[in-house]
This record gives sequence, C-alpha cells and structure tokens, in this order.
Amino acid sequence: MENRILLVEDDQAIADAVALNLKIVGYRCTRFEDGQEAADSLAEDHGYDLALLDIMLPGLDGFELLEHMKAYGIPVIYMTAKADAASEIKGLLDGAEDYVTKPFDMMALLVRIEKVLLRTGRLNRIYRAGDVELDDYHHAVYKAGARVELRPLEYNVLLYLMKHKNLTVTREQLLSDVWGFDYMGESRSVDVKISSLRRKLGLEEAIKTVQKLGYRLEDR
Amino acid sequence: MKLRQRISLLAGAVLLLVLLVCAGVLLLYARRTILSLAEDQARDKQQALANSFSSMARYYAVSDDSDSFRESLVRYCFARFADREGVLIRDGDILLSSVSVDPSRYAQPDRQTGDVGVFRGPVDGRQLLIVGSQEWIYNETYYVGLVRDITEVYDAIFRLTRLFLLVCLGGVALGMGLLFFVVKGSTAPLSRLTAAARQIAAGAYDRRVQAPGRDEVSELAASFNHMAQAVESRIEALTEQNERQRLFIGGVSHEFKTPLAALSLHASLLDGAKLSDEERADSLRYIQGAGAYMSRMIQSLMSLLLLDRGIETQPARPAAILQEAEQLSRRSLQSRGVTLQVRCDDDDTLPLDATLMVSLLMNLVENAARSYEPDAAEKPVFLTYADRTFTVSDRGRGIPSEAQGRIFEPFYRVDKARSRKQGGSGLGLALVKAIADAHGAALTLESEPGKGTAFRVRF
Repeated sequence: MENRILLVEDDQAIADAVALNLKIVGYRCTRFEDGQEAADSLAEDHGYDLALLDIMLPGLDGFELLEHMKAYGIPVIYMTAKADAASEIKGLLDGAEDYVTKPFDMMALLVRIEKVLLRTGRLNRIYRAGDVELDDYHHAVYKAGARVELRPLEYNVLLYLMKHKNLTVTREQLLSDVWGFDYMGESRSVDVKISSLRRKLGLEEAIKTVQKLGYRLEDR
Repeated sequence: MKLRQRISLLAGAVLLLVLLVCAGVLLLYARRTILSLAEDQARDKQQALANSFSSMARYYAVSDDSDSFRESLVRYCFARFADREGVLIRDGDILLSSVSVDPSRYAQPDRQTGDVGVFRGPVDGRQLLIVGSQEWIYNETYYVGLVRDITEVYDAIFRLTRLFLLVCLGGVALGMGLLFFVVKGSTAPLSRLTAAARQIAAGAYDRRVQAPGRDEVSELAASFNHMAQAVESRIEALTEQNERQRLFIGGVSHEFKTPLAALSLHASLLDGAKLSDEERADSLRYIQGAGAYMSRMIQSLMSLLLLDRGIETQPARPAAILQEAEQLSRRSLQSRGVTLQVRCDDDDTLPLDATLMVSLLMNLVENAARSYEPDAAEKPVFLTYADRTFTVSDRGRGIPSEAQGRIFEPFYRVDKARSRKQGGSGLGLALVKAIADAHGAALTLESEPGKGTAFRVRF
C-alpha cells in the first residue's frame, strides 16, 4: 500500500508542485488550503502516514494544527517561509519531526519525508514500476511475479530509481548516494549498472536516458 | 592637578598673604604704640626725677657750702628720688648709679634748646631706654639720666609677633581645609558630570545628572542633561529607523520566499519529471505568475525607495487625475464585476505629482475592490474629489479597528491568505501612505467592519 501524505499549504502554486511531485514518486497526497478544514477532516479520515504543514495558514495556523496531528499520531514536517530560529525551535520542540524553509529543494524534501517515514516505521518499502516489484523488506526483486537475482549495487541503483520514480536522477546523485561520497570512480560505472538492470528486468523502455544528465525510471 | 586642589591652594596662598599683611600692619602699630608708651612713661619719670631732685638740691644748697658738703647734699637729694633707675653725673663723673651703663654716652640733651636726650636700643645684650637732661645747681651742671631696661617689653612684642604668626598660619590652614570642602562640594557635580559622560559614551543614553541650584555648575549640568536628552532621542530615532529598515528588509525577503519556492519547485518539475502536457502547462503558468508577482513587488519597492528622494509637484486638475485613475483601473475592475463611480465636485488645481497621485488612487481603488467577497452581488467603489480632498470608499467588509493602526505598514495584511491569493503585494497601502506623505497631504481612514471603508487624502 502506498504511503498517504496530508498536505496543508495555502499557496496554490507550491501546493500544486509538491502534490505533483509526491504523486509521481508514488505517494498518495491529500490537499487542504485551510488549517481549520484540514483539522475538521481528520475526524472522518486520519489514515495519514505523514503531514506536510505550512505555518502561516488561514483558519488554524501550523502550530495549532500540530496538536490535532499529534492526537492521531501523524508525524509532521513543517514547510514554511518563517526562517527564524525561534519558529524552527518552537516547531521542533512542539513535536514536529522536521522543519524545512522555503524556498526548498524537492529532492531534499523527499529524502526528509522518507527518513521520517522510516523512523516512525511507516515507510512502505515495497516499490513498483510497471511489472517490476522491489521488496525492500526481504531484499528481493520480482519481474512479473518471478524472482530476479541482482548484484548488491544493481539492487541499490534500482531502489534509488524506484524512490525517485518519474524524476530525473543524475549520475552524480547516484554516485554519491549509492556508491557513497568517497567513491572516486567514473560515471561509466553507473551506465554499466543501468544497462545490466535494463537487461535483467526488461526495463529498456522504462529507464529513460536523459541526455548528458542521467536517468529516469518512468511509470506513468 | 585637580581643579579643587588648585582652587584651594590658590585661595590658601591669597588668604595667607592677606592675613600676613594685616598682621604685619597691626604688629607694627602695636609695637610703635607700646614703645612710645614706654618712652612717654620713662620721660615722665625722668622729668619728675630731674625736677624733684633739682628743686630739693636748690632748696637746701647754699652758695658757700663746701664742695664735699654740696656733693653729699646732691647725692642725698638724688638718692631720695632715683629709685633703681636714676643716674647722676657731674663733669663725666658718675656720682650715683645703680646700673652699669653710662647713660650720658647714649642720650645727650640738646645744649641749645635744653630738650632731653632719648636713646632706645640694645646695650650689652639688653634693650635699654635711656632719658637724660641737664640740670644747673649753683653753676654746676649735672646730668640726670634714667636708664630703664625694656627687654621684657621687646620680649612681649616678640611673643606677640610669634602668636600673630601662629594664629595666621592656623587660620590659613583652617581656611584652606574649609575651602577644600566647600570647593569639593561645589565641584562635586563636575565629577558626577564626568562619570555620567563616561556612562553615556559607554551606551547608557538614559543617564542624567542631578545638580540643584542656580550656579554655573548647575547650568552646566542642565545643559549637559539637555545634550544627553538630545543624544538619546537621536539615538532612539536612529535605532527605530534601523529597526524599521531591518523589519522592512526582513519583510521583503520573506515576501519573496513563497513565489521563489513556487518558481523553483515548478522549474525543477519541468526540468526533471515526467509530466503530462497539462501538468507542464500548469507549471509554466505558475512560474509566470510567480515572476509577475515578484516584478510587481519590485516595482512597488522601487516606487517606495524613489519616494524617499522627494518629488516634484506641478499644478494639476484633480478632475484630470480622477479621469486617468478611472481609465487605468476600469479594465481590471470590470473583469471582477466591480463598478467604479467617479465624481468631481470642485474644478480647481492642486500642486501634485500627477503620476504618483494616479498611482495612489489606483492603489486605493484596488484595495477597495478587494474588500468585497468574490461572489458579492454588487461591488461599488466610489472615487470622489471635493474640498481639496480625494476620497475612495467602498461598502465591503471593512477593516477591524485593531488592524487600522497597522494597515499602512509594509507587508501588513489583515487576512494574509486572502490578500496573497488576490495578488496583493502587501505594499499597496504603504505606497499610498508614502505618496501622501511626500505631498504633505493628510491620509485618514474611516472604517466599520461589515459596512465599508473610506480613505481620505486631504491637501
């Protein structure tokens, strides 16, 4: 089952961008623009794994909304233009899991979301793209239900692509996040792993090469 | 050297000099008086001695007395009156004396006038007063002298002098001591001033000095306090201005964050994500919107900054200003169902910057248009001019009284979410206020929640 994320943000442009991003990497996102409406909706549906809250909101502000989230045990990440330390400290002390200030980088927000989900034991670690399924609990990969054996690095590259489904990941990101910061190898190693993944899992179409940049695992 | 020490020493020296001169004059006078008294007494005594002696001797003496008898008689007569001071001399021979001094060597009477001779001075280590006269008894000349030892008088004068000097020095010391405290007391405010000045220099701008009284030091303290007051209020004004600017800059950067966040998020979506054509178009639209919003804000910021440099006014007809503001606002108002009603009652001229004034009115009209809920049935906005006053009023939701005082602050929004959604930069009314101020016009507002708002710009 996909992780469900509650997004409360009154700026439509930002809400749209975040919601779209969450959707294409595989989260289910529910949006509210008004704090009070978001709080009221919890009575009927509170099955969220995480809430992304703006602080300055109409209706109830983010700090007040946090109390409602805590009542249902929903972990919260603040996402706000209030960059002062006092607000950040207040937010974290009140019980928020994390705090990002606008403007923020979506990739970074995705990492924070994943960390919070992992920490609270809510992360869905089964990823799908087309007929390929990656079960991170059992470290197993299936193609149309049949198990496929992958080398460790191949597995990690696939996991990274799955986590950033439909987004372009650069060779540099893969090198630093999969191989590790210290890895001094060439980006050719990435290309080698990608081509073996494509071959073993029949993902020639799904893993797109983005010219001069990197790769994108598409599933839309 | 400290001022109080210098003043005390100077005053002490002057005091010493004055006392010494006074004491000297007094001493000299006293010495002369005492000595002349002693001399007068000695003269009288000598006179009495000489008269008594010569009278007695003449009375008893007879011309044919033998020399030895006469000498005995003279001796006897003289001895009767001589006490222990008289000296009798005849032709250089001392006939009778109880002193060891020959007075005739010191005090010779005047032979022509017969005046007595007087001597006063030291003889053999003692101060002597000697009076001598000539007496004739039967053709013989006798010298009658009186020798009086006045060493004690001199000693008394010396003791008196010493006492005077001691009293003078004591007086000076006492006077200097008293002066020191008096001067210290009167210069104490100066020390306090110094301390206060140091504290003020170190940042305690609210420091003042207490100096009651009406002397120069108090005047100085008053001037000092006045200066400290001026410094304090200037510093306060600067701090406040600094704080305002800091808040303003903070506000500006805060205002840019949300559109920047939207812009970068959508840009990265377009750059790296697999999007449908519709999603792609939406993202582009958001990017354009954020850009337009930021450029509007920059325009308003620039206008605000330029206003600080002052404006140039020319006589202009308010009627024309109203017309231009109406024309420029009409299209945007029509699309939102807002009706603008313009009325100009006076056709006079005012000194103003026409472009800025139109901008002011458009901002107020825009603000009035936003006072209506989007689905309101009627949205009238009134723009009028009469009696040197522009008025923009609406019948919208009004401004809560607690917000009325802050409504002209940059980035202040009564309802943050709604204002931004309607495209408000948070600078419109701040700009209105700045333009009104630059014209020297009074900007007032009257509002009742639920009934509407009226802004007035009065020249």
